[in-house]
Amino acid sequence: MSTLETLQDLLIREYKLTREQLAPDAQLSALGVDSLGMLELMFQIEDRFGITLPDDNPTNLLTVNDVVVYIDKLVAPQREAPMTPTCTP
Amino acid sequence: MRRVAITGLGVVAPLGNCVDELFTNLVAGRSGVCRLAAPLSERLRSPIGAPVQFDGRAHFSAPRLRMLDRVSQLALVAAAQAIADARLDFAAERRERCGVCVGTSLGGAETTEDGYHTVYAEHSDRVKPYSVLAAMTNATASWLGIDYGLSGPNLTYSTACSSSAVALGEAARRIQCGDVDIMLAGGAEAPLTFGVLRAWEAMRTLAVQDPQDPSSSCRPFARTRTGLVLGEGAAFVALEEWDHAVARGAMIHAELSGYGLTTDVTHITRPSIEGQTSAMRAALCSAGLHPDAIDYVNAHGTGTLQNDAVETAALKEVFGKRAYSVPVSSTKSMHGHLLGAAGALEFVIAVTCLERGIVPPTMHLDSPDAACDLDYVAGRARTGMMLRTVLSNSFAFGGTNAVLIAQTAARH
Repeated sequence: MSTLETLQDLLIREYKLTREQLAPDAQLSALGVDSLGMLELMFQIEDRFGITLPDDNPTNLLTVNDVVVYIDKLVAPQREAPMTPTCTP
Repeated sequence: MRRVAITGLGVVAPLGNCVDELFTNLVAGRSGVCRLAAPLSERLRSPIGAPVQFDGRAHFSAPRLRMLDRVSQLALVAAAQAIADARLDFAAERRERCGVCVGTSLGGAETTEDGYHTVYAEHSDRVKPYSVLAAMTNATASWLGIDYGLSGPNLTYSTACSSSAVALGEAARRIQCGDVDIMLAGGAEAPLTFGVLRAWEAMRTLAVQDPQDPSSSCRPFARTRTGLVLGEGAAFVALEEWDHAVARGAMIHAELSGYGLTTDVTHITRPSIEGQTSAMRAALCSAGLHPDAIDYVNAHGTGTLQNDAVETAALKEVFGKRAYSVPVSSTKSMHGHLLGAAGALEFVIAVTCLERGIVPPTMHLDSPDAACDLDYVAGRARTGMMLRTVLSNSFAFGGTNAVLIAQTAARH
């Protein structure tokens, strides 16, 4: 499933929206997701995508696609990060 | 002085999610007190309360619900009823002359408890971002102001069990002094959380659950009374300057004509005869009434050993020999103690008594207490009564005593 579809599933469940309402260019604020709603959504994104979001509060996440791009930027490096060795040979 | 008309009533309460349903059940002597569901019932010594049959999802969208503690949900629905009952269209009003006064003891108790659970029990940092906004005690009043565009005074009063009686009285004062023309005033409380119930249990002031019939556990004025039963709910009134109400053709339920406010300063919880007496006398004085004018008293009547005896003594001080013939009933015997919302709920009930000529009973008063020997309308409502003036008592931990008087509109 793509990042977009996964994010749409989250928003459909949490905000009782439809997939049609969640087009990539849909404005989050118009869908009822305000700045505090975004903060709450961050917890769910962390759980769903298995990533840790930085503590900064991004202010440029205005559309559904903005969030998709944000997630993808974080998912790739965190999945590729090498395991830190826990012991020396 | 400007007079205050009561033009709208609304409730979401144990025994009814509207005034008609509530009053019908009160008159029938039904009780909204019950054994609380699990998991509360498994962890409390006395797992009884008076819950409301209310699901916020039926009234609010999912995004809205995130921001609203249960206390605000109850309040918004009750206030909407009052506004509809008053046939108020705020778009036609000068909204800078319309305000809100809300009484609540705890504010967003459920949100507060959830937040502490997240931090201390789950050891998680993931406190919901809306927590502060949902829990803050002024949240309810703020949302009412926002939803209806009421840009006049917006105030929250927190004086424990007299909070919403104070809210109504202070709202009336603002109309009387000319600051505003319309005030939405009321109270809300949603205290049936484990933490809150456990804290109240620790004070040893909650009623012991009756083993045969939990619904009869709240017994104001009875010798067998063991304490109070907590309830949840909200009640609101629309208050208007009298001429303003008449000019727009509003239906006036009654006049809020008296408000007395005093403080017990002797103890943080123990009520004083002097303080309660003074509050009732102050209300009568503010209404320009003699005690003989009162036709019914809706008592504070919590069911605690102390309050009921002290209130009885105070009523005797105020009414003299007539105390034995004025009907006095505690509807808390049926709907429980709504803490910050109690004053507003009981005032709405008292106004409804005025309109319908019915006095609801004090239930479960099966064994009289020698110290409580007035006419408490035990066991059965009285109908066909000529009621022109009613008095409603609210006495609180912390000592704030608030008494309200309503008079029939029909006399004008």
